[in-house]
Amino acid sequence: MDGVSDEEVAGAFGDGHPDALALVYERFGPLIYSIALRSLGTRPDAEDVTQQVFVSAWRRRGSFDRHRGTLGGWLVTITRNKVTDTLRERQRHSRVLQVAGGAAVTASEAPSDRLVDRIVLADELAQLPESQRLVMVLAFYSDLTHEQVARVLGLPLGTVKSHIRRGLQRLRSRLEADGVAY
Amino acid sequence: MVSHTDPVILALRALGENAGTAEDAGHAEICPHCRSELARLAGIVELARGEGVAERLETPPAQVWDRIAAAAGASQSPAVPDGNGAPAPATRGARKRRGSRERWPRGRLATGLAGLAAGLIIGIGGAVGVAQLTTAPAARVVAQIELLPPPASPQFQDATGTAVMRATAGQQLMIVTLHAPRAPGFYEVWLLARDGVSMISLGDLNADQTGTFIIPPGTDLRNYSRIDISLQPFNGSTQHSKTSVVRGSLPVAALGAVTPH
Repeated sequence: MDGVSDEEVAGAFGDGHPDALALVYERFGPLIYSIALRSLGTRPDAEDVTQQVFVSAWRRRGSFDRHRGTLGGWLVTITRNKVTDTLRERQRHSRVLQVAGGAAVTASEAPSDRLVDRIVLADELAQLPESQRLVMVLAFYSDLTHEQVARVLGLPLGTVKSHIRRGLQRLRSRLEADGVAY
Repeated sequence: MVSHTDPVILALRALGENAGTAEDAGHAEICPHCRSELARLAGIVELARGEGVAERLETPPAQVWDRIAAAAGASQSPAVPDGNGAPAPATRGARKRRGSRERWPRGRLATGLAGLAAGLIIGIGGAVGVAQLTTAPAARVVAQIELLPPPASPQFQDATGTAVMRATAGQQLMIVTLHAPRAPGFYEVWLLARDGVSMISLGDLNADQTGTFIIPPGTDLRNYSRIDISLQPFNGSTQHSKTSVVRGSLPVAALGAVTPH
């Protein structure tokens, strides 16, 4: 995905460029699949939802307005709707089973906003240049201070500080654009 | 003219560091602009740290694109690596268990670093990718070892692994990848001493069978020179299961340069 920004992907998609769907899938496939997988718990369902999201997005690409929102945010919204549909379908199915056999039904939950936001955050982390990504991962998930992060990675202190400041700002912008609850 | 808190200090404070002066801290509390900045950034940090690790992104299997392309009439293939199937369901159980064994105060660090490795070692040939890592010129590769199944573990005869040791000023990192069948339980990385009895647990491999660990400072690697990956059952025991999947030895010559602290 080097060299192609999210805006460029969205532009190609909005213009209906023939290669755009492949480009969009390459950029957002893991995000959509991961949200579906974590929400639904099974791979076949997650694969179905992923397929539905991209096919539906492609067919409805005329209704995507990139001046009103990001492509990532638009796809996340479609994904949440498809996940909800799948959960409803499951519930209907289990009610039928219950009527037939008296089996207990466990209520399905809609995908949690926080979970979606956490996956969007992971997706943006994955987009960061490698050096900055490592700094952010260590800053978030280790007990190291920024000075220690600089030592572990062999980076100048100023670079680490700048990576942290810009990295947090970039995650924040992405969450403000594509997140649900943040 | 109001001077706001340095954005770097705000970012570090959002991460929980006690950065800046008392004056910075005081300003960030009373200034509405800086207070709201800090709160937004702290919200990101909280979201990221949430459950202690990052959410894992998974690549959909290749057939998903084939189905999409067929349904949408697209033909161009995306340059996506094939999703390499289901990860071992190890991490969750291992994580639950972790609280009960605090051999290393760095347990939490190992957890985070294991998450880091998922992206650090993208795709196949992980060791190559790591060797080419350009971010840390000072973190030189000290040793790169192939890990192979011991004769006593014929059930893992197809398993392979690599361990790359990197040294930075004052720290030693061990980056481990494993290619082994999914199995009930989880994979744990150990350093074994020459006496064949003493061992140090470095931590658990991530669900994608990779992990990055900090070698506890002071470890004499000329003694703890064997790397062992075990398959551990979910039984709460902190002991080595005695089921070794792969092993390898650090070249003692390469370690000559690495003096224990």
